[in-house]
Amino acid sequence: MSVLLSARGLQKQFGARPLFQIDLLEIEAASAYVLTGINGIGKSTLLRVLCGLEQAQCAQLEFDGQPFSLQPYPRVLRDAIVYVHQHPVMFASSVPANIGYGLAARGVAGAEIDRRVDDAMAWAGVSHLRHSRPATLSGGEKQRVALARARVLEPKLLLLDEPTANLDGAAREQVMALIPALIREGSSIVIACHDRDLIGLPGMQRLKLRDGRLHLR
Amino acid sequence: MQLTEAIRDAFILLFSGDHVLWQIIWVSLKTSVVGLLAATPLAVAAGYAIGSHRFPGRRILIWLAQAALSLPTVLIGLLLYLLLSRQGLLGGLQWLFSQPGLIAGQALIALPVLIAFTLAAVQAADPRLAETAITLGASRLRVMLTVLHEVRFGVMAALITGFGRVISEVGSALMIGGNIAGETRTITTAIALETSKGEFAQGIALGIVLIAIALVINAVLVLVQGDARSAGVVS
Repeated sequence: MSVLLSARGLQKQFGARPLFQIDLLEIEAASAYVLTGINGIGKSTLLRVLCGLEQAQCAQLEFDGQPFSLQPYPRVLRDAIVYVHQHPVMFASSVPANIGYGLAARGVAGAEIDRRVDDAMAWAGVSHLRHSRPATLSGGEKQRVALARARVLEPKLLLLDEPTANLDGAAREQVMALIPALIREGSSIVIACHDRDLIGLPGMQRLKLRDGRLHLR
Repeated sequence: MQLTEAIRDAFILLFSGDHVLWQIIWVSLKTSVVGLLAATPLAVAAGYAIGSHRFPGRRILIWLAQAALSLPTVLIGLLLYLLLSRQGLLGGLQWLFSQPGLIAGQALIALPVLIAFTLAAVQAADPRLAETAITLGASRLRVMLTVLHEVRFGVMAALITGFGRVISEVGSALMIGGNIAGETRTITTAIALETSKGEFAQGIALGIVLIAIALVINAVLVLVQGDARSAGVVS
């Protein structure tokens, strides 16, 4: 397996308090990881650092074999890495416009956006929500729209922050069902979670944050 | 009874289509709207930048914008007067006692109102909106437009409040415009002048127009906020 992303000496601190100090983080291409650890240990922060929403020190960063620095966050990483919030927010526009947002930002032509959005909506099982107001979607529906909104960009690395937290019953099952499909499509995925069913999915590698260190199991 | 006669004359002036009166109203509306629109792009961009970014001096800018809200408009008028007078820095423009000068004053007065209200709306926005736009690959400009679209009701409230402030101010309009009939005489400067001459009818007629404008723009604000609530934008 080729290494997609490797970060050496990745450190994050809030003021004087160190949150984590990771000697080596390696994400292989087309691989899936769960990132576990107790609340407040820095799982979300690590994902947010990787997608450039938070700053951190990194001694050496490579992506797809090319060296990069974290600051300023490089465009190549921005285009290749997508982060999905634990509680995703919807833009007020419309459900299809939400899913096509990243494609529009990349300058993809309108007809192509429509085609890929239709495909992504069918994939996420949200085609019936086409005319719903985004603000009125349930938590599970928002999560599925957010997954479609990320998947449509075909990111090399997808970072999901507790995608099933606070969902139960059918909503949780529907979100759970999308994860193996995402993994099969060839993106690398890192999922921060506590969900045993997600941790137990076949082919999952396990990263654990403990006492500011990262352990691969 | 002098007051009842004055009020009766005021309504006669209003509904007889009195040319002088309606010209004053037209000058007021025109300079207020143009001044407001001239200030809007810069003010909204500045409000967004201050509201959404952390940088040294940010709190000083917030403090200044909010303090500028409580400046009397005569002071802004004085400042602009000094700039526009013949020896002033911008004296070459020859804007003193002209509509462009009047508009510049309205824009200066609207600026801090628009900045402070846009800033408050952007600060109140869910930070995940900008983060989502960023992680989906939006450029800085697209992130800004997306966030401003999300807080559009707040920006509209800023515009409506700003309009209310410029249409009702008298200090700067009097000093910069000079209250020249048919040119820079606005609703408020005309009321001040007519009242000082003991002519109440025109003053009352213009007062009625100002009240009507206040009622209409605030009705728009109430409607906009009602829509925002039903759209789930504000709780």
